[in-house]
Order: sequence, then C-alpha cells, then structure tokens
Amino acid sequence: MELAPIIGTLALGVIAMVLAIYFFVATARGGRRTQAIFFLMLGVVLLVVAAGLGWQRFNPNNAQALVATPRGPVQVRVVTALPVEPWVREAAKRFNASNPTQDGQPVEIQVVAMDGLTALGKFDRDDYGTLVSGTREGLTAGELERLATTFPTVWIPDSRYLVELANASYKERLGRDVFLTDGEYRARPIAISLFVWGIYQSRADVLAQKYGEITWQTVHDAAIAKSGWPELGGDAKWGFFKLVVPNPRRNVGGLAAMIAAAGEYYDRVNISTEDVTNPEFQQWLKELMGALTDVSGASAYTAEDFALFGYSAGDGGQLLESDLLNSMEGIRTRWSDPLVIRYPKYVTWFDFPYTIWVGPETTAAEKNAALQFQQFLLTADIQRLAVQGGLRPVNSEVSITAGDTLFTQWQSQGVEAIVPRTTRMNSPSRDVLLALLRWFDLNVGN
Amino acid sequence: MSRQQTGRRNGLLILIAALLLLCVFGAFAIILIAQRTSTPVAQTSAVDQRTATLTIAYSPEKAALIKALTEKFNAEKQRTSDRQIMQVALVELTSEEMINQVLAGEPSFQALSPDSALWLDQLNRRWGDTQATEPGSIAPRITGTPVRYAITPIVIAAWEKSARALGWPDQPVGWSTLQAAAQQDSNFRWSHPSTAYASGLLATLAEFYAGAGVQRGLTVEMAQDAKTVEFVSAIEKTVKFYGEAELAVIQRVLQDGPKTLDAFVVSEQLVVAFNTGVFGQPPDALVALYPAEGTLWADHPLALLETAAVTTNQQRTFQAFREFLAEPESQTLILRAGYRPADLTIPLDSPGSPLVAANGVDPAQPQTTLQLPAPDVVSVVQNVWALTKRKTNVILVVDTSGSMEGDKLDNAQSALRTFLAQIPSDQERVGLVEFNSGVANIIELDTLANNRAVLVDSVDTLTAGGNTALLDAVRSAYTRLQRQADPERINAIVAMTDGKENASAVTLRQLTREIEAGNQDVPVVIFCIAYGSDADYTMLETLAEASGGQVREGTTETIRELYKILSSYF
Repeated sequence: MELAPIIGTLALGVIAMVLAIYFFVATARGGRRTQAIFFLMLGVVLLVVAAGLGWQRFNPNNAQALVATPRGPVQVRVVTALPVEPWVREAAKRFNASNPTQDGQPVEIQVVAMDGLTALGKFDRDDYGTLVSGTREGLTAGELERLATTFPTVWIPDSRYLVELANASYKERLGRDVFLTDGEYRARPIAISLFVWGIYQSRADVLAQKYGEITWQTVHDAAIAKSGWPELGGDAKWGFFKLVVPNPRRNVGGLAAMIAAAGEYYDRVNISTEDVTNPEFQQWLKELMGALTDVSGASAYTAEDFALFGYSAGDGGQLLESDLLNSMEGIRTRWSDPLVIRYPKYVTWFDFPYTIWVGPETTAAEKNAALQFQQFLLTADIQRLAVQGGLRPVNSEVSITAGDTLFTQWQSQGVEAIVPRTTRMNSPSRDVLLALLRWFDLNVGN
Repeated sequence: MSRQQTGRRNGLLILIAALLLLCVFGAFAIILIAQRTSTPVAQTSAVDQRTATLTIAYSPEKAALIKALTEKFNAEKQRTSDRQIMQVALVELTSEEMINQVLAGEPSFQALSPDSALWLDQLNRRWGDTQATEPGSIAPRITGTPVRYAITPIVIAAWEKSARALGWPDQPVGWSTLQAAAQQDSNFRWSHPSTAYASGLLATLAEFYAGAGVQRGLTVEMAQDAKTVEFVSAIEKTVKFYGEAELAVIQRVLQDGPKTLDAFVVSEQLVVAFNTGVFGQPPDALVALYPAEGTLWADHPLALLETAAVTTNQQRTFQAFREFLAEPESQTLILRAGYRPADLTIPLDSPGSPLVAANGVDPAQPQTTLQLPAPDVVSVVQNVWALTKRKTNVILVVDTSGSMEGDKLDNAQSALRTFLAQIPSDQERVGLVEFNSGVANIIELDTLANNRAVLVDSVDTLTAGGNTALLDAVRSAYTRLQRQADPERINAIVAMTDGKENASAVTLRQLTREIEAGNQDVPVVIFCIAYGSDADYTMLETLAEASGGQVREGTTETIRELYKILSSYF
C-alpha cells in the first residue's frame, strides 16, 4: 500500500481537529458550538482511519492479506508456442480491448511465449506447482494468490503430441488427467503449419545444379564436402555448407527436423527407439549435424536467426513454413538474396492445440474465460489474421489465397497453397524424443 | 463567566490542541521511521509484489544505446492493468558478473542483456547443473526466451594502411592472416579482449580452430591437445596487451592513434562509431575486416529471469519494453547508433544509416560465420586460454605518503586486494613497491603461487606517512623488470599516487630517458593511476607516454573498480 492515502487522511484529520479547536474557542466567545462538534467528530474519524491504514500498512503480519486483497480481472495466462505467439498476442490485445467479462468480472488474457519443449520440461518438473490434494479447499490466501498469478490456464504447444506427453506424466503422478482429448475443454488446433526447406536462392541454384532435388540426403552430402562450397560448385567466400536446424534443446522444431530426417533415412513415417539408436543412422546424423553453425543453441528462434544473420549463419535448412514466410521480405531487404521454399517428401505438421488446464489449480471462471478466448481465436477475422502471419487456418471459411497473402506473394519462390505431398510423419514417443535428445547432447551439443 | 475563567478555559483548549498536534506529528514521525526501518517481509510482500520497475543488467559496450532507449521508454510512463507505472532501471555488469550473480541466487536485476547469447547458454547450463533433474530429462532454464533488438558482427579493426598491408581489399583477410602477420613481424601489434567478452572469445576460438587444424567440429579433446595448446600459446605471445573491453581499446586508439596498435578485435558498431566521431575526432580511419574463415555476431539478447522474485508487473514491463524496442522509432535509433536493427524491414542503407563503406564497413558482410562449439567446449577454450595466454610480470607501485591517510588508503587497500583476487592464474608474477619519503617496502616479483599471501599481508599492513618519492619507486620497479629480461611476458608497472613528487633522487627527465632506452630491449608498460584531484597528472602522463602506457584518474569511490579493470590487462 502506498503512503499517500495514509498521509492524506492524517493531514485531513489534523485540519479537522484544528478547526474544531478554533470553533471551540469561538464557542467560548459565543456561538459556533455545532461546527465545533462536527469538526471534532470528523477529525476523530479521520485520525482513526489513518491509524487503521497505518497499522495495516506497517504491521508485517498483514502483508499476506494485502497481497490477495485486490479482486482484479479474471486472468487467463496462455503459455504459447513461439511460432504462433505474435498472432496470439495480437489476438489477445484485440480480445482485451473488447472488454470481455466472465460472471460479471472483466477478463484479461496474458500471453507467455515459451517453446513447447521448454513448457513440457516445466510441466514434467511440476514447476508451476500442482495441487497434490486435488482441491483448493484449505489453501491460504498466499497459495491462492500464487495460483492466480502464475499457474497457466491454457497451453498452446507446437504439436498435440506434447500435450499427450505432458498429460501422461501428470496422470502417472497425480492419478488424474490435466489436459483432455474430448469434451468441452478438449485440446483444439487453432492454426497449422509444416516444416519445409528454406534455402538462399544463390545456394539453392548451386545445389540444384549438382544434386537436382533438395532432400536430407542432398543436404547431408553437401554438409560433408571437405572443402566446402567450391567442391559443390559454389563460391569460396561462402565457406562450408551451413545447415539451419533449430537446436532440439531449445526448440521443439529441432526434434521435428531430426525425426523427419530419420523418416527419409528409413523411408517410413514411424520411427522407433531402435531406429534412432542404430549406429549407422547415428553416424549419418552426426555428419549431417556437423554442418550446424551454432551448436550451442544461442536461440530458439532459428528462422529469425536465418533472417537476421543471413547466409553468414546458414545456407539453408528445414524450418516451419510460417516462420520462413514471415522472414522472406526481411531476408530480401537485408541480404539481397531471396529464399526459395521446397516441400520435403516426409512432412511434419504442427497443429498448435489450444489446451485448457482442467485441474483445480485454475478456477471455473478462468476456464470459461479461456473458452471465450478460444472461440475468439477461431473466428474468421482472427483466423485471417493468422493467415497474414503465414499460418494455415483451421476455420474452413478462411482461404490462404484470398487476397494478398504471404502464400500468394511468395508463390514465385516456391510456396504452394496445397501441400504437394501427404506423407505425414507420425508423432514420436517419449522414449524416441529422449533418445534423440541424449544423442544430441552427447554427439553435437556437448 | 468571568474573564479569568474564560482565560483558563482557552488555555486548556490550547493545551489540548497542542497535545493533539504533538500526538499527530508523533504518529507521523513513527510512520516515517517505520517506513525506513520496516522489515524486509513487509517490503517484499506488500510493495514489491506490485512493483512494475524492471531492472536490466547490460554489458558495458552498449551503455549509450541502452540508456537512450530506456530514457525514451520511461518517458512514456506506460501503466500496467493495475495502474502501476512501468519503468526500466539499468545496472552495468560484465557478462561474467551477470552469470555469477544469478548463480549466487542474488541477482540485482530481473532481466539481462549480455553482448552475446552464448553467455545465456553458459548461464543456463551452469544453473541447470545445480538443479536436481532426472538423467536425460528436459533441462530446466533460468532465463526465458531471449529477444533481440540489435546485432553487430565481430570484426578485425585495422587502420587503412595496416589493412592494405594485410591484403585488403584485394585478398581475403582472416584470422590466419592476422596470426601470420603477428608471428612474422615483431613490430606488428594487435590485441583482443579477454575471453570474458564475445569479441575476445571469438578471436581465441579462431586460434584454437587454427591450432587444431580444423574449421569446424572443435571438440574438448582437440582444444586440450598439446599441439593446439602450443600453437595458441605461440600466437598469444604476439598479443601486445589484453584489455577490459572493446570500448577501452577504442578510447585508447583514439587517444594514441596508429602507434598503439595495428589491428584489434571489436564489434562492427564500434568501428562505425569511431569513424563517425562519436568518441571524438579520429586520428585516422579504421577499416572493418570480416574474417574469411568466419566470424561471430554480438547479438545482444534480452532475456527475463524466470525466478519467483520476478513479479507479474515486472513481466508486463519486460513485455512492454520488448515491444518498445521493436517499434520502428527504436529500431531506427539502433541503426543510427551503428548497430544492425533486428527489424529486417529497415534497410541497412536507409537514409541516415551510418553502415556505409565510407565509415569502413560493408553491410553485405560477413559471408560466413565460425562454428560456435557447444558450451562445454567454450568453457574448455576459456580455461585453456587462461593458461596459454601471454603471462605477466607486474609490479604494483603504491603511494603511502601522509596524504593517503584515512579513507584514501583504506579504499586503495581494498582495490589492491581486488586486483590480486582478479588474477586467477598462479603463474602470473606480481611484486609490490611501497613508497612514501623513499622506497619503503619491496615484495620481490614472484609467481602468485608463491607470494599471493605475502602480497595480501603487505597490503593489509600498509600505513600512511611521509613525503612522495614516486619517481624513485617507479625506477626501482622498472629496474627490477629490466633485470628479469623476460620479453616472453607482458612486463608492466601499475603506479598509483595521490600527490605531487617531492622526495625522489631521480628526475623525471632522467627516468623517462632510462625508460625509452630500456624499452628498446624489454618493453615495460607503465599504467599510472592519478588518485584524487591533487595527483600530478602531467607527470604521470609523461611517464605513461614514455612507456606506451596510459593514465587513469581514480577517486575513493572508483579506485576499486579501476584496479579491477586494470587486472584484466594481465
């Protein structure tokens, strides 16, 4: 609590008392007794209030109560995967500006950007602190306050399999589901995107000349060229072939890329733990990953790196279509060498499921407010906003080729409205994910 | 009612009023005292939980830019949803200090912006190691997802004449060119910051790559291989001196011009700032050479700490500041400062952009980057570098004349202790010459492995008294270093005085002649500290100039930091 109200009340009380004394003196000289009593009472009341405020402000035992006192808006914290974060954040701004309410209380959406894998780690470690008892009864004001200000109401990870992994972990620990696959609060995709090849035009032309199609094998062969680009027919100034793949420790896209590479290596969509621990595959993958420029994983935003640092940091790689589309114009402006987009044989999709936490850690009002925001995200207007951000909509009313969109704008660079191939990689199991992460740590990241 | 009764009644009322006022003012005073002495519990829970003031730690080289941006942000007086004013406060720290504070669990900030994201990786790696996690599980991180607002590549800055001698602009110039020039020409002078800075780390990494005979895939084993270590050690012997950071090197070459260094490693932005006169009229133009083998980017990430101590409102302020940095106006300001803005829609050749060839830079560069190894390899490179870097013989010359009595001496003692603590390698040789009316006490030069404790004891027992025989003391130190005749090491004197010379046998002219003659064989650099306003700056400047050193001004408040900075030279 600030001091201003205490000092203000105190000052007014003093003034009232001084006036009361003045009128008492005047009474003695005849008259004004009523005013004297009025100011006396007013002064006493104000001083009592000031004393009360002061006690509340400075008594350490009251601190906890003070924190929980304000009954503010219903807060919905949305932990959002990085590729959809700008869109979700803009939608949240518009939603908040429309003054939404839930049970008569105003609603405020707060967006927290977090890579899906990082969020999964937090859920796995129970960093947010679930209620083991399964009930809010008996919680102190401080504990309720912590839940109200820190616990995520909604999680929008990159892909549905992350939700399944997190829920399985909780179910084992708590004996209950925290994310649902059916019913009102089920996880629902809000936009989709897929992994594609993005390569600088100058480099793509050289690779096309030498190898024809861009595939993981092509990239592998370019990566192991001993003398770099001159051996491939490119400029010596370009150095070695530099691969851009998100660091799997920082960005779930890195894992998706490694699984897609395994898909092509084995020519199938189901990848098992045995596949990723096969020494021959691991040797092939190690040679491929040796072309990464930054194996320390400075950033999770690899598409941003690709654009910001240009061909100096990466010649090409497999990244999310939406991220690349958002960077195309900037790359052309900054580096004077546009990107070309190519669609791989084995496609990995991200569906960004909007997942409401169903446990008692969030209130009914928060859950229902979260549902309101979900509906808002699925409206045609907001889905069109997603298209403007290079995402593919889930609302069938919205087209990606209607008007001047990133999809139409970059058709000449290889962007296709209808994905030409439909060999979709299956979701990996937790064991496959952890085996790949361990391999990366031991062979590339360490 | 009689006049006497009325008077008595009035007196009573006045007495009551006075008592009442006394009580009120007493209560007011108690509140004020309580506010000042209130317990931490009350402060953190009641006030801090709503605070929207976000403290950001930033690395020193971008002080001017981040201060300008913060000032603009704070002037906007944005508010949180609960009407708290969002403000950003700043604290300047080196990347290493940021990491250490976070790992110690008591950071003085909630967000950090080091010069490179590689420090965030190191922080997260080291913090993760302290957390109990299951093997193979997803590692926890202490920092949130970083955002970038300004980037700049690390370059080799050279005077145009030196750049042409290295082959620019016709031939590709790289780390190998620089290393070859330094080894073949004993007059070639170059420098890079220590590995605590992104630019210093890059220069060192390039040496390790060259030493290991690879251009990527550097491993811990390669970095520790005897041949690699020998190669790096040979290269590091050609470094004229290290330094606290890029900014200090820039200021030094501004002051001394091409005679100081032929080339040095800095960020592109500092080359632009130097050539455009941000630091003053440049003595000559610098050229940014983009290493052919590859470079690194100083990407200045901004990340929020993910600790319970960060309030929701501070998170809101972080988000607001992040959005502010991304605004076109902020991004344009960043470009004008010589950085490459994160907003790719702003062309680098926009009107008013300083990133033009006339300022010694090429926006189409760099063409390629050096592979940044994993954090563990980076740590090994830093550790091995500390062992292979050019070793030092340094003598501390300390004034204990009468005018040093009191706070001055107390703070100088603290500064000297910091200096000794900052030199981690026990292989460095350090000595001490204490002077007042004459040379009072000498701790002979020896490795810190042998004399660290002796030096600390001597510092602890310094007492003030007598006159100021500075020149005799410097001569004593200089003679000792010359007697060592050890050109393999950096030979230096750090001389501190707070007064005017009044007791030496040797004159300034005699001593400078001796220094100029002696330095022909064994160069000894003299760093002088003018401590307080009474120090004879002109004399110190003459001494420093004669040896190719420099003078720094210090006060009782800054002396400790100054010694700390100077320790990074060795």
